[in-house]
Amino acid sequence: MIGTIAKPMEEIMPYLEGKDNLMVIGCNGCAKAIHSGGEAEVNQMVAELEKRGKKVIAAGAPERTCYIQHTRAFLEPLQQELNDCGAIVVMGCGGAVQIVRQATEEKHLLKHIVSSLNSIGHFDTVVPGTEFVEQCMECGDCMLNMTGSICPVTKCAKGLLNGPCGGSQNGKCEVNPDRDCAWVLIYNRLKALGELDKMQQYQPPKDNSKITRPRRAVYNEKTGTALA
Amino acid sequence: MKTESKLESILNKGEFAVTAEIGPPKHSSPEAIKHHAEMMRDYVDATNITDCQTAIVRMSSIAAGLHVMKNGIEPIIQMTCRDRNRIAMQSDLLGAYSLGVRNVLCLSGDHQKFGNHPTAKNVYDIDSMQLINMVRRMRDDKVFLCGEEIKQAEPRFFIGAVANPFADPFEFRVVRLEKKINAGAEFIQTQCIFDMERFERFMEMVRQRGLHERVHILAGVTPLKSWRAAKYMQTSVSGMIVPDEIVERLKKAEDPKKEGIEICIEQIKHIRNIPGVHGVHIMAIAWEEIVPEIVQRAGLYPRPKAE
Repeated sequence: MIGTIAKPMEEIMPYLEGKDNLMVIGCNGCAKAIHSGGEAEVNQMVAELEKRGKKVIAAGAPERTCYIQHTRAFLEPLQQELNDCGAIVVMGCGGAVQIVRQATEEKHLLKHIVSSLNSIGHFDTVVPGTEFVEQCMECGDCMLNMTGSICPVTKCAKGLLNGPCGGSQNGKCEVNPDRDCAWVLIYNRLKALGELDKMQQYQPPKDNSKITRPRRAVYNEKTGTALA
Repeated sequence: MKTESKLESILNKGEFAVTAEIGPPKHSSPEAIKHHAEMMRDYVDATNITDCQTAIVRMSSIAAGLHVMKNGIEPIIQMTCRDRNRIAMQSDLLGAYSLGVRNVLCLSGDHQKFGNHPTAKNVYDIDSMQLINMVRRMRDDKVFLCGEEIKQAEPRFFIGAVANPFADPFEFRVVRLEKKINAGAEFIQTQCIFDMERFERFMEMVRQRGLHERVHILAGVTPLKSWRAAKYMQTSVSGMIVPDEIVERLKKAEDPKKEGIEICIEQIKHIRNIPGVHGVHIMAIAWEEIVPEIVQRAGLYPRPKAE
């Protein structure tokens, strides 16, 4: 899922200055899972905005706001509110914010859209409901087959590809002693698997052209797959 | 001789090499660098010029290296992977060589978290292993990293790398060293050694793999000014092991600075007798003035002449 955390209200409010009759749109996908923009958080936001003197004329959370069809369906019965609103507060990832923009543009509306969350990465749920960690940063050139299914690109503070730097001590990373050194984890796992030779092999520089942004995938009917 | 490096010539002759370190200033005056260079000139074979060490903005290592060179010392330009991508690094390598620099030390670099710009974005487009390989291929294969030919005047650096026998996993450290040698490293400077027993074990593994015959290892030493400095290194500098005896010895000393020098000289004498060690790298952090005395008293003066 996409990890998101709330921006402070002090950061959001200036963008809402002079704007009233707001809409609040959360996301019942990732933002719900990480407690930043599901229905519960949308309700809190509505209360907070009202406390600050704003009127909220519609609020809710589509199934997954980053899917255009879900957002379209959510907005369908809210045509009047959409026309009347002074701004839309979106409580979703950066993708959700831009999908909401697209949905309003499709309706030929020019609306102020205010993002209330910061997107902080591709997260995995390691303890349901409570703990989420970033394990993959979508480098486009996956090397997990070489590293015992532990990603050094994401989990090593320097993203090193050829083993641990000199700052690895007692199995921890020098950048944050609470965090395991990714390369020590990789070493231990490869050792257990009898595959330490993988760590002896020279890994050439990454092909960073694979993360030239923005990336895109388009479904091809002939092959039946989405191609980058 | 693969290069015009004086350090390479001294090491190839089988001399026990001495290198030191000069940290560029946090301003644009070269006076302190010149002073340190003049002072060390006759006592070392080359000096490292650090590259924004601990991620603190300082004068560029190449520019500072030029000042050192003008004052009679051969510089070893440190190059980290933290601040530049492969394009900028190759560009700087061409520039440094054009100015007369002949040695480069390839490192990952300290994480920006430790410096004065913790909000900076790091680069790490390539890692230290790949940097070593890139410098070697530029020289021996006359190609840029992308494979394109360097049509004339390829940069011919003597290639250095670092090794930390005190980091984890210990058994992998020597494997990583071998990887660096395979990638192209020709000399190695180690992290500061205080735990001599562990360094001896590391060197034993080096010899078992025959690596001492493929690379010149320069053992890193650091003179300590006080027990507090020792304690700081013990507790706050990662990838470092400082035994309690050293802290205690400095604590008990009447003149801790003198004791720090003594310890360093003892370490150098010890290191000289470890088979496979080809030199010493003295990192007198913010204490550059002491290098001549240490070199002299450790019996490493006068320095040999390069061919």
